[in-house]
Amino acid sequence: MSDISTEKYVAEARRGIADPVLRRSLASLQERFGRGTAAAYLQLPEGPDLRVTAHAIREKAVAHLDVLLETLAATIRRNGGHVFFAATAKDAVDYCLEVARRNQVRLVVKGKSMVTEEIGLNPALAAAGIEAVETDLGEYIIQLAGEKPSHIIAPAIHKTRNEVADLFAAKLGIRRTTSPPELTQAARKALREKFLTADMGTSGVNMACAESGHITTVSNEGNIRMATTLPRVHVAFMGMERIVARLDEYEIILRLLCRGASVQTIGTYVSFVGGPRQQGDSDGPEEFHLVVVDNGRSRILADPQFREMLCCIRCAACLNICPVYGKIGGHAYGFAYSGPVGAVVTPLLTGVNRAKDLCRGETLCGACKDACSMDIDLPRMLLALREKLAYGDAAWQVEPASRIEGLAYRGWSWLIRRRTVYEMALKLAATGQRLLPRAGAMIRRLPPPIHGWTQSRDLHPLAEQTFMERWRKRKAPSNARVNSEWAKKNPTGEPGSEGCGGGEGLGDEDGRRG
Amino acid sequence: MIANPRVTLFIQCLVDTVWPHVGEAMVRVLAGLGLELECPTDQTCCGQPAFNSGFRREARVAARRFIEIFETAGAIVSPSGSCVHMVRHHYPELFKDEPQWRERAQRVAARTYEFTEFLVDRLKVEDVGARFPGRATYHDSCHLLRGLRVKEQPRRLLRRVAGLELVEMKNSDYCCGFGGAFAVKYPDISAAMVNDKVDHIVASGAKTVVGCDTGCLLNIAGTVSRRGLPIKTMHIAEVLAHRK
Amino acid sequence: MKTAAEDRFFRRLRTALGHAPDLSRDATQLFAQGPSADELQMLDRIDGRSAADRRRLLERLIEAGTPINLRVVPVFDPAAAREGIAAVVAEKRPEWGEAKSVAAWRHPLIDRLGLEGALARRQVPLRITDPIAPGAGAGRECDRAQRDRQRAAVIASFIGVTGADFCLAETATLVLRNRPGQPRSVALVPSIHIAVITLDQVLADMKELFALLRWAERFRPEGLSNYMSLISGPSKTADIEATMVHGAHGPREVHLFVITG
Repeated sequence: MSDISTEKYVAEARRGIADPVLRRSLASLQERFGRGTAAAYLQLPEGPDLRVTAHAIREKAVAHLDVLLETLAATIRRNGGHVFFAATAKDAVDYCLEVARRNQVRLVVKGKSMVTEEIGLNPALAAAGIEAVETDLGEYIIQLAGEKPSHIIAPAIHKTRNEVADLFAAKLGIRRTTSPPELTQAARKALREKFLTADMGTSGVNMACAESGHITTVSNEGNIRMATTLPRVHVAFMGMERIVARLDEYEIILRLLCRGASVQTIGTYVSFVGGPRQQGDSDGPEEFHLVVVDNGRSRILADPQFREMLCCIRCAACLNICPVYGKIGGHAYGFAYSGPVGAVVTPLLTGVNRAKDLCRGETLCGACKDACSMDIDLPRMLLALREKLAYGDAAWQVEPASRIEGLAYRGWSWLIRRRTVYEMALKLAATGQRLLPRAGAMIRRLPPPIHGWTQSRDLHPLAEQTFMERWRKRKAPSNARVNSEWAKKNPTGEPGSEGCGGGEGLGDEDGRRG
Repeated sequence: MIANPRVTLFIQCLVDTVWPHVGEAMVRVLAGLGLELECPTDQTCCGQPAFNSGFRREARVAARRFIEIFETAGAIVSPSGSCVHMVRHHYPELFKDEPQWRERAQRVAARTYEFTEFLVDRLKVEDVGARFPGRATYHDSCHLLRGLRVKEQPRRLLRRVAGLELVEMKNSDYCCGFGGAFAVKYPDISAAMVNDKVDHIVASGAKTVVGCDTGCLLNIAGTVSRRGLPIKTMHIAEVLAHRK
Repeated sequence: MKTAAEDRFFRRLRTALGHAPDLSRDATQLFAQGPSADELQMLDRIDGRSAADRRRLLERLIEAGTPINLRVVPVFDPAAAREGIAAVVAEKRPEWGEAKSVAAWRHPLIDRLGLEGALARRQVPLRITDPIAPGAGAGRECDRAQRDRQRAAVIASFIGVTGADFCLAETATLVLRNRPGQPRSVALVPSIHIAVITLDQVLADMKELFALLRWAERFRPEGLSNYMSLISGPSKTADIEATMVHGAHGPREVHLFVITG
């Protein structure tokens, strides 16, 4: 398994927020891709509802995973390829190491693949004394820097050109330049040597098609084609859910993938790999291995609440719109998958309790659902995870996250059934709040456990009288009466009679003060 | 033309306890349209806070009570998009294993409207005779926009307010960072989000920010106050009830 | 081939799906047994395309190529394509090293261009990628030696010339299926990729492509082949501060000559 640091969500989030460079790049990423993807969906001939069609295609595929994978494996094997079904990350890594050992591999060129990040392939190769080079430019940059990807599609989004300039000058020994074309050229040159001398190339799988018997990879740089064409051995890793039945279905998924990932109508290179090179071919790998990874996915599959998550194609459209991701960046999520997709899939793959802040650290704003190329209801699953954290769940080995919170909600549910007591409690709180420090009429500091609110903002105090009290105090509630009564009580237009934060004359006062 | 229904007020707990005058403003607007209003004063909370925190049993307690109270109501109108989203979309889900309750929930849900949605879609009213001089911008609340798909209704109402110049802020549809308990549990992230929101409000040149959900407004108003900005935070009902 | 571990994998999978763990299920219902009505219509449309229709597709192709930096050059005949290619060879500088050399597919359309003579006049060697002949036998190079020689030739070339099976107008996408004599590296390793097609190879979009590959008798037997690539313009990246740069790892330029005559 790769390093998991989901426990550090809050601390890492704070670091992300404090990094002005990161925030600027994230803002510009979301501006272009988040908005662009929404526009691209609208321009589809079928309209944004194609996402609903795609969802059904993926759901059907997931419901028939067993037969689809058997069909795919049979075709690839017929074409001379090897297929290995890995139950765990370790099985997948061990298989790859064994293939490498058999082929006396010293250098591996890697095409970008989040599943290899998930199973921790790089550290395992390094431990076996095999050099593994990431070849996607963004991945290459962060590998040189000794960091981890912070975005599924744009892994080096957190690095500036100045940082890359320093990095390349130090690591590649080139003259320092901040020009992206020159930096790209430097990486092109360095990696070309690697492509030409590597013994093994690895890749992920964007989507496989059972009917045709191919896996497919999508890239703009061409690094995946290089990594899967030039070395003697190609090992492809796929999450076991990344398959559709038919080519006409594949066509729909691909179109949405490219729009969701990068607002493109199609990626520059889409490659369909059906096995190793055939008789008479002069290039392509002699050996082709497909590693199909479960690593916790069958548990997701078995739970009807979460099965929908396996429809995900990791296009990262949700990252490009999520307001939380847009503030904290990808490292906070502490695993291969960041953003909303990470918030759901990481707890399911690595443990719900340790990733509890991923489940709860969102506002349920729903932007990810609208952005999802596969129309997946991520907020629904976040809520389902929160339920597990609330009460615990034996099947997922979840412990209740907080006994105190549980008691508090039990008390709350008792209270809200008793309006009289509820109002007494409010009265008590309304009296108690007078003791709190104020700025004008606004509360400046709250006591624990709710002090988080006033860390950076004030709080409007509770009203002296609730709406219900005021309503009850009205006389006979006829229409006209309602109108005149409250018109008198709250003469419109007078200062202080309206404005949230102005209701009790606060906002205005504050406004004048500012 | 459908006859105007009897209206039952569904007052969000934040309106009830923090900003009762928002509820009163809504009452003035609805009464001004000649609607007959009633308000079950034993209502408390729809259960959303518990539901969003994962405490579904407790949320179910709140939901059952809500259904019992509002079952006999007319059109149920609330000045909160997220509460209506809760009733309309999460109640049926809460009772997915209790068919009888589910059916009752669905019946109640079908009659529950958010305030602006009710005015524009149900009553077909856009001009309520309001007057509010000045430049204002509108913040899209998440559950109203993406849960209930209410986007144009409040804008149409605001465009018909005499003297009001409606300007759009950047990313009006981005979450303000409220998220209920989120704002308390993850104050750093929440603060980063709401400060962005407030920056965009300021950049729009508006002196007033208008919203349809008190949760967001509580968050925005608190930040505006802390930053000492001359921005007024108002619920749309207050703007629509304004006459001078 | 199947191991005990694989067996366990599928048992777990079927259990998760709520099926009997040991029973392999029938897949036929998941796969189309014949073309759909839409696909039949598509096949008819492709077959019935008039010259004017093809012209329109070419215009769409040119339009779609522009934003992705694909240079589409309509030419009347193979001779014009040859001259166009020769001009590119003359104009461009090699990226790695000084000597110019060009690699090209063994392909009927490329053969007809007569590139060899045109390039020889400019002292640029042309390396044709012939199919690898089975080794052994007297005087024959073994497979590996043939492959190594070809690989070296392709790596040494600054331009690679290929045909294509199809071109998709909507996305300006070249469709290359892999066969002996037509290796994928020619369209990948050289700095510049030049493709040559005839106008009748232009399809509207990927839907048409898949309809043909799945159901048209003349394409179905080969299907997608062992390796099919869709190539839409030159290689690019935006990984450094989201600045678009062409030529990340694949070709920096792609030129497409469409023979219209």
